[in-house]
Formats: sequence, structure tokens, C-alpha cells
Amino acid sequence: MSLLLAESFAERSARDRARALLDAQSFRELLDPFQRIASPYLEAQGVVPQSDDGTVVARGTIGGVRACVVATDGRFLGGSIGEIGGAKIAGALELARRDAERGTPTRLVLALDTGGIRLQEANLAILTVSEICDGIVALRELMPVVALIAGRVGVYGGLSLSTALCSQIIVSEGARVGLNGPDVVETESGIDEMDSSDRPLIWRVTGGQLRFRQGFATELVSDDVAVIRAAVERAFEEPRELGPLVPQPFPDPRLERDAFLRAMEIEP
Amino acid sequence: MSASVRGRAWFERLTAGAKPIAGLPASVLAADASIDGHAVRAVAVVPDPNGRFPRARNGEMGIDEGFGLATAVNGTPAGSAILAIVDVPGQSFGTREEAVGLQRALAASTNAYIRARRSGHPVLALVVGKAISGAFLCHGLQAGWIGALDDAGIEVHVMSEAAVARVTRMERDDLARVAREVPATARDIRTFATLGGIDRLFPVSNPSAPSDADVAAVVHALTEVLRNPRLGLRDPIERLDAPAALHARALARRVRDELRAQWDA
Repeated sequence: MSLLLAESFAERSARDRARALLDAQSFRELLDPFQRIASPYLEAQGVVPQSDDGTVVARGTIGGVRACVVATDGRFLGGSIGEIGGAKIAGALELARRDAERGTPTRLVLALDTGGIRLQEANLAILTVSEICDGIVALRELMPVVALIAGRVGVYGGLSLSTALCSQIIVSEGARVGLNGPDVVETESGIDEMDSSDRPLIWRVTGGQLRFRQGFATELVSDDVAVIRAAVERAFEEPRELGPLVPQPFPDPRLERDAFLRAMEIEP
Repeated sequence: MSASVRGRAWFERLTAGAKPIAGLPASVLAADASIDGHAVRAVAVVPDPNGRFPRARNGEMGIDEGFGLATAVNGTPAGSAILAIVDVPGQSFGTREEAVGLQRALAASTNAYIRARRSGHPVLALVVGKAISGAFLCHGLQAGWIGALDDAGIEVHVMSEAAVARVTRMERDDLARVAREVPATARDIRTFATLGGIDRLFPVSNPSAPSDADVAAVVHALTEVLRNPRLGLRDPIERLDAPAALHARALARRVRDELRAQWDA
């Protein structure tokens, strides 16, 4: 047995995550930063744009098969999806579907680390997210669509909704999967509903371990590049059945919040 | 916040006489109506002050609403179109919902709309009130054709102004300035239409209690759309080709084109 230390996936940049998932030497970035497709909307809002807009699209192979990894950069504006990043994801889904229909499938991995729709580009972004949802469902009919949630942010908002449409969902123990971020729940509903500074609680309520236990993910992985690579390859080679999008039993929502959580075996 | 009556008002007018579909949560309305002889399953999400989730009583999309809407859409009879009547102030913001997995409930109705459209049911949406965030994504935005009332009470956005201010650390005055400079951040329906997100705007005299003339204008337009089923079967990505989008979404169009050009090296 190897005594090598685990190599962290979460600590890598989006570009290095994409590189890590593709077979060695097969990485080729599309719309790379030197093409300078950056958001024109951010400067007016006091944000310095980034020349890849925080979303990396890379072609290559996975297990020797044509592939494309889309990775979002959780360190740039919380990995948020704006017009450009959204168009990159929607475009990759559209091209992967075209390839599958032609009989030359491209394995598509959405390596998402994102707080959701970018508020600074709100309605342009939500339009692209509606395209992403449609693109996932259309591609899923033809081949596995793999979401990998293994970053520091996790997935929230419109992208969490989109991810739930994927056929294969891999989550890491450190990742979170929720619709509304803790800050937003606290702002909208008050600190008694959610204390956004209570990090342990947030992980217990939205963390990867809970999501896997609930059956909302096909695989739970540790933060280790080799483990994650193997899980991604397995998702294409031996796809697992994720349950249908129907409600699972839950406690009576009229219970007090803490009692509700305890009934779900979550320590409040 | 006072709960909106618009969704129910328009649903009742557009489905007059049709029997409601049973077995759904009280916050999800569905009925099989006939519009100029075209079979249409109309669906709406409305406030239910007695809803069992405390954070989903004002018309928000919550656990019961997402899954209930999915049930209503999945049950659309063969040959019927679908009309989503949209007046949703957002998704529900609660710890219970997050623990249960609210993203799956919203994905369920999104999935239902997409599969219905892709299997040949024209999907139309009529925005009569708020259309916010995940609630709009999962109820309305998957339609092939989207109409909206031309009314100042309509709001389209991804988050409430208070929460945007907190997350972006901008003052509300700044947000108003930005909305003028960056149309994507505005909240009014006319600006949203400039992004190519709306196929038709309807002037209306009373959005909360539509007059006969208001209803007639909408029915007339819906009839035209139903006569041309292709309109309701369009994928969301086709909105990039809407006349307004040619300019407003030029950047997204460029990304799509260049991605295609670089895909196979």
C-alpha cells in the first residue's frame, strides 16, 4: 500500500482541477485567459474582472475517451456564474449533446464550486442557467452527466438546482450542497432561522456527508485527487442509479427548527 | 410582506369553469382548461397561509411547491399544452428546507417542465407578478414562450434587494445606480424584456383583478401562440436569437460561437 500523502483537490485552482481530472498531457483549454473574454459589467460595481471570468473549459480525455471538464473558480466572486461563465457551461452541454447524437460522445464533467448566479449580472446569468438546466436534461437522455462538487464553496443557488438534474453526482466530505447560502437565509428569515457564523451547523445541514446519506449523491469522496479521479472515471464506466426527483420522508415541518433537525438525525 | 393575489386571480380567470386537479398541495393550483379549443393545463403557485413549512406561506417555492408542481406538470394529458402562471416572490428561506434538500424540489419541477417540452407539450408562461430567482428558474423559465404583464408591480431578479446589498456589500443607493448602468441588475419587466427574455408584454388595467378586456387581450395572444406549437417548444438557448438578445446578449453569443469553433482542435 502506498504511503503517499493525499493530494488535495480543493486547494487547487479551477484550471488545475480540470487538469487533474483529465488524462495526463491531454489538457487543452478553450477560451483561455489570453483570449481575454472578461465580464464588462464588474468594474461599474467595484469588482476587478478576471480574464477567464472564473470558469475554465478544458478538453482532453478521461479514461482515454474524449472529454470536457468545466471547472468554476470558487476564489473569484465565490465561483459565481455570470453571462460568460454561464454561456461556457451551456455551450459545452450543447456541444456534448451534438457529439453524443453523432455517435462520438464527449464525457462532460461539471466540476462546480459556486455560490450560484452572479448578483452583479443577475438576469443575464439566470437566462444562461435556464439553458444549463435544459442542456443537462437533454444530454442526460444520451449519456451520464457528471457533477463533481469537491471545492471549498460547494454549490448553491441556481447551480445547485442544475446540479440536482445531473445523472451522476460526486460530493466530497468538505463540500456543501444547498439552495440558499447561509448569509441569504439569515438576511431573509433572521438569525434564529440560520446563524451564518455557525459553520459546524451549516456543514451538518448541507454538507457532503448528509447529502450522500440522503441518497442525493452517487458517491462520497475524500479530498484526494487520486480518489476523485477514480470516482469520475467510475461515473462514466459504471454509472449508478440516482433516485428520481421525488420527495423523501421528512419530519413534520411544523416542529420547532431544532426538533425538526433532531428528527432528521442532525444535531442542531 | 403581504401575500400576492395575482397568481390566483389570473389562474381563475384563465381556467374559468375548469375543474381543479386534486391531490396537490393547497399552494399549487392546476386545472385542464380550454383556450380557443386548445387543451391547456394551467398551473400556478399561490400563497397558503396554512402551509406546513413556516417559510413557504407567502407564495414562495418550497419543498411542497416544487414537488407538487412537478406532479401537476408530469400529469399533463397527452396533446395538452402547459401554461405556467408566474407570481413567485422567491424560494423559501429556511433551515428545514435546506436540510431536506430544497434544490431537489426545485429541480423536480424544472425537470418536469423540460421533459414535457422535450416530449412535445408546448410550454407557455405568463408572468403576472414576481419572478424571482430559483422560483422563476423552476416555474416559468423553461417555457418556450414567455409573456408578461407590462406593469410596474412585476419584478424579475435573482435575489431580494436586501440580500443583494448584504452579499455584494453595496449600499441600496449604489444598487439603484448600478441598475441604470447594468440592465441585467434591474428589476423591472421592461428592462428584462430588453435582454430577450420576454416574447410579449401586455398592457393591463388591473393586474390584481384583471378586467374582461385585460383577460381578452391575453387570451387572444395565447391563442395565437397555441396555433403555432413550435413557439412553445423552443429550447431556452433559442432565446439567444431573440431580436433583443442580438445586442443585449452579444457576449453570450460570442462565447457560444467561439466555443464551437475551438471545440475540436
